[in-house]
Amino acid sequence: MTDVAFYDFVRGPLLRFALFVFFLGIAYRFFRVLFLGLPPDYAKPKGNPYLMAVKKIVIKPTMGWTFNEIFSRRAINFIGGFLFHLGFIGLTFFVPAHALLWKEITGIPFPVLPNIVSDILAYAALGSLIALTMHRALNPVLKLLTGKDEYFANFLIAMILFTGLLATRWAGGGSYIWLLSLHMFLADLLILYIPFSRLSHFVYYFLSVGFMGWNAGKRGVSF
Amino acid sequence: MAVLSKEEIGQEEVEKFYQFCKKSIDMEVASYLEACVRCGICAEACLFYMGENVSGRIDPTLTPAYKADLLREIYKENYTLLGRLKKLFGFGVKIKPEELKEQARLAFYTCTNCDRCTKACPMGIDTPRLVSIVRGALTHAGLTPKDLADATNLSVEKGSPLGVDTQTFLQRLEFISDEYEVNIPIDRKPSEYLYIPSSIELMKFPSSVASAAKVLNRAGVSWSMSTVAHEATNFGLFAQSREVTREMLRRVLQGAKDLGVKYIIAPECGHAYQSMRFIAPNVFPEEWDFEVLNIVELIDRMLTEGRLRLKGKVLKETATLHDSCQIGRRGGVLREPRRILKELAEDFRDSVLIPEHNICCGGGGGVLVIGDADYYRQKAFISKMTLFDKTKARTVVCYCANCMLALTKSSQELKRDYRFVSMVELVAEALEEET
Ligand code: SF4
Ligand code: SF4
Repeated sequence: MTDVAFYDFVRGPLLRFALFVFFLGIAYRFFRVLFLGLPPDYAKPKGNPYLMAVKKIVIKPTMGWTFNEIFSRRAINFIGGFLFHLGFIGLTFFVPAHALLWKEITGIPFPVLPNIVSDILAYAALGSLIALTMHRALNPVLKLLTGKDEYFANFLIAMILFTGLLATRWAGGGSYIWLLSLHMFLADLLILYIPFSRLSHFVYYFLSVGFMGWNAGKRGVSF
Repeated sequence: MAVLSKEEIGQEEVEKFYQFCKKSIDMEVASYLEACVRCGICAEACLFYMGENVSGRIDPTLTPAYKADLLREIYKENYTLLGRLKKLFGFGVKIKPEELKEQARLAFYTCTNCDRCTKACPMGIDTPRLVSIVRGALTHAGLTPKDLADATNLSVEKGSPLGVDTQTFLQRLEFISDEYEVNIPIDRKPSEYLYIPSSIELMKFPSSVASAAKVLNRAGVSWSMSTVAHEATNFGLFAQSREVTREMLRRVLQGAKDLGVKYIIAPECGHAYQSMRFIAPNVFPEEWDFEVLNIVELIDRMLTEGRLRLKGKVLKETATLHDSCQIGRRGGVLREPRRILKELAEDFRDSVLIPEHNICCGGGGGVLVIGDADYYRQKAFISKMTLFDKTKARTVVCYCANCMLALTKSSQELKRDYRFVSMVELVAEALEEET
């Protein structure tokens, strides 16, 4: 019964441990930056900094297209990035199997995506991840900026998507439980890895984009 | 207070650089350093990178994110758990003296603090803020580029980066009054408005100063220039030397206080506006009690209030607008120049859909005075040209004398025939037709 024992382990204690580390780590990283504090600013703002900060946080991800010439040169970043994030969030929380798991853990019922939508999301996320990774490897600017961190993260996420698809769509049958366990094991690893890597950018998004909006409001510019 | 430009770089300089970077971290800076996802989109926004790219060369080191990478490393090993552990085990940042030269190239030669990358970055990272820290650290270590250091020191010693002292200032004003037949009040007490020109205008574009005087006279405000606060540009910001910034602002404060003014009018100069509008209140929180307006802002206000009237459109040919980054994108004066230009030009074609997207002149942030940066400035100008050419305009209206100087220079070097004109001058021209 090793397969079931492993399955239970990755779905139970390991997942709980990973989540614990995740929240602790993320909170630590967030508050560590927050506690650095800010010097006071006595210059009279020209617009409304706070409103702008909130506005930017809400609409920034949809504003890439306004820089049309950058958008056209980096369509792969914008479209791939958008699809990937959409897929990643959609799949993580709203795929039937995942929604069930989150309900078990949090007690809150999660809305469930229809199968066809989760399939589209999964293929879109996997496809864009592969495209983005190739772009990283080939574009001279990205080559300079990319470290091992990015490749490891991309590989790990791709494997999670791949094993998820393998288990539920492509293989099935006898190896199902092993594939599923592997899928969950890798997901646990990812959850553990996030606070130690640049994948935790999602918390800093609120700070850095917030500051950008705050500055825009201070200077009275609208973009 | 002098800013140094050492030739020899040793361990002492490295240490000073390191400590300055370490001390400059606050919540905002740390957020930017942490948030970068290494997507490289900012490269496509930076005029230096674009300019190289258009001419067929790709220089990835011109990517904005890369310009802050050493600072990021220093941040990590001092403020993050993993970084500290690495340092403990001997894998910390080791800066070789040559690397500081490279940092000077990145921070002083290939960034004008234009802020365009901030707008394009999906994480909203304010690269100019980070580059300014690197500049400050280099200046702290005595490694300011020679040309910039000289001009900065001259501004402390003589009162202006072009060496304009009070006597020269008075002589120039006398010349301007005579030549352009305009009355310029000097040290008139009490005055409501203090207008401070930049020495670039005074020496190279005297008609800008005359035009500003004409506009102020026509608006019927009580205004004056000052022999104490006679330089608006602040080279302390280019070198990122806090002492110099403070000293230059102290003179402005002194002059404004002496005349008892309520408003300070910044001229057509980006860093002048930036330093007086956004930095001075933090340098002198107790004493700085003035409303700072850019001359373009003031003109727009006077036009709306009906205190100034323009008669007809003086600019007949197709024209486009060049925005000053420090007054526009980083200063919030973007709608005003457009409103004014629509009144002035028969065929005004904006080169950008969103004013905040305009491209820098390539010579801002002190890049213009650094001879070694000429190559980059010219390349940056190529990016700028693509925007001009899109509108098919040969006449470009500017509202910053430094931009105008940089654009004129690059344009001559690359043998282009654009004509650059000052907005205030156009306004003054349109006024004259009224009588
Ligand atoms: S665009 Fe922003 S997040 Fe992307 S590499 Fe540049 S600074 Fe980093
Ligand atoms: S501020 Fe302007 S010049 Fe500097 S890195 Fe950003 S886009 Fe380039």
